[in-house]
Amino acid sequence: MPERKASDRIRNLSLCVLALLAFALLMFPLYWMVVTSLKTEIEIFKVPPTLVPQVLNTDSYFAQLKHGDFNMFQSFKNSFAISSCVMLICLVLAIPASYGIARFRFKGKRLFILSFLVTQMLPVSVLLTPMFIIFKNARLLNTQLSAILADATIGIPFSVLILIGYFASIPKELEDASRIDGCNRFSAFLLIFLPIASPGVIVCTVFSFLYGWGDLAYGMTFLQDQAMRPITAGIFNFMGQYGTKWSYLTAFAVVTIIPVIAIFVFMQKYIISGLTSGAVKG
Amino acid sequence: MNRIKRFFGQGNIGYLFVLPAAIYMLLLVGYPIISNFILSFQDVTVMTLNKPHKPFIGIRNYRTLLGDGVLLPSLVNTFVFTVCCIALQFIIGFALALFLGRDFSIARPIRGLLMIPWMIPMTVTALMFKFMFSSNVGILNQFLQACGLIGQPIEWLLQPRLAMLSLIVANTWIGIPFNMILISTGLTTIPPELLEAASIDGANRRQSFFHITLPMLKSVIESVLILGFIYTFKVFDLVFVMTNGGPVNSTHLLSTYSYKLSFTLFKYSQGAATANILFLILFVVSIAYLKFVYDDKETD
Repeated sequence: MPERKASDRIRNLSLCVLALLAFALLMFPLYWMVVTSLKTEIEIFKVPPTLVPQVLNTDSYFAQLKHGDFNMFQSFKNSFAISSCVMLICLVLAIPASYGIARFRFKGKRLFILSFLVTQMLPVSVLLTPMFIIFKNARLLNTQLSAILADATIGIPFSVLILIGYFASIPKELEDASRIDGCNRFSAFLLIFLPIASPGVIVCTVFSFLYGWGDLAYGMTFLQDQAMRPITAGIFNFMGQYGTKWSYLTAFAVVTIIPVIAIFVFMQKYIISGLTSGAVKG
Repeated sequence: MNRIKRFFGQGNIGYLFVLPAAIYMLLLVGYPIISNFILSFQDVTVMTLNKPHKPFIGIRNYRTLLGDGVLLPSLVNTFVFTVCCIALQFIIGFALALFLGRDFSIARPIRGLLMIPWMIPMTVTALMFKFMFSSNVGILNQFLQACGLIGQPIEWLLQPRLAMLSLIVANTWIGIPFNMILISTGLTTIPPELLEAASIDGANRRQSFFHITLPMLKSVIESVLILGFIYTFKVFDLVFVMTNGGPVNSTHLLSTYSYKLSFTLFKYSQGAATANILFLILFVVSIAYLKFVYDDKETD
């Protein structure tokens, strides 16, 4: 028996080492980006490259605060505002829609589901030019509302489809019981359905926020004024302006992914459930 | 008013819940798709954008595009990019799923952490890879030179073929987690008794992989590949930031070429036509996918 245990431990250890190697290889780009943002511009050009910064340089993060024509913290705020609004629109529209589809019978229900499924697969490109013209005519260009309205079209179908599954899984008896206890449709929805579906709601909150956060095409096209643009468009603009000042550029990129990493740390299980249930039928 | 009340009273109340979202999507997705379609048959440029009457020119935009020497290569690029990315990310993702599906102490946390590349904005990924592939400071060239594999730094992003290769590598990096996690989920649905029974019957690892694991994963694999196709075929941000279609239009995908036509050259109608081609291809694939998922459900 003890021999068996020893061999198990060796097996476990060697698999762990192998997994860590694969992990290090796959995560290297991210590591490299963070490390570069903490190096001086001279050290970045050093051959052979240094794996850990020899002089810790945090200037790249603060230079933009002190001077510079472009403020990455401003664009961070813009992205935050845009993504939060996108998230709100998605929830406000998707929760009732999915509840309606899951719990009521009506004609054309399949058509609704099908159109949400198809819109989820739409390319951004097909909407960009017509939306640009529509927003221009509606005088919405150069307002953050245009980016918000456009970004939400990605999150809504996703959220509806995720939540249908949650609402549909709630047994009919529970609804009947709540009726007997004096709930009407609306209070049953608020008191019974919404709490049970709350993991699904969290998935939708996370994903609609991330869709807004990651968008480049809409924000960059509909917003021309740099002071209003989201952080992704800010980076792109910055790349054109500063070309190869990689310490600044990587610092900018690191700031952009901070909320994403934070969401990942706290919401990991929801992210994985969203990804799998959004893509493959249960 | 009473008729409206009666309509929603008789079990049609479901509409009330769905309508706000449906109207929103009709206005901001349905209407633009149709107007994109119409736009592609008109002649709208920066000159005619503000005029009330837009000249209708039939399929001339499509003909111009076919002859412009960029659209067709972009179409080919889009397919090459998509097929290469799917193949790579599927193989690597599958291998990782199998490996991390084995029972050892850090398998689960590692699998979770590997999701990060899929979550970070593509703009950031593009910047990161642009940096690593850059010819003078890029870690890739520095590494290859240090190993003595190359003498001179390679201009990864300035030669058409290499630039396409770099884009494929970057996009594969994003796609691996997606493939891995879906296949991992599929793997958990295979009853372990089945694999045990096979090994008792004398099947080796390879045999049980090809005769049990693969057939059991068939529908998951099909979903992963088709969804991978849809997501990769429409990629925009990554290519736009990394090469913007360059050098000399050689790495344009339909999405980036459409953007260039509309927002750099201000030929809105030609941009719309290019986007329309992209849309039609994706639409066919999406419908095929949905039909396939639906048929599968019927037989379940």
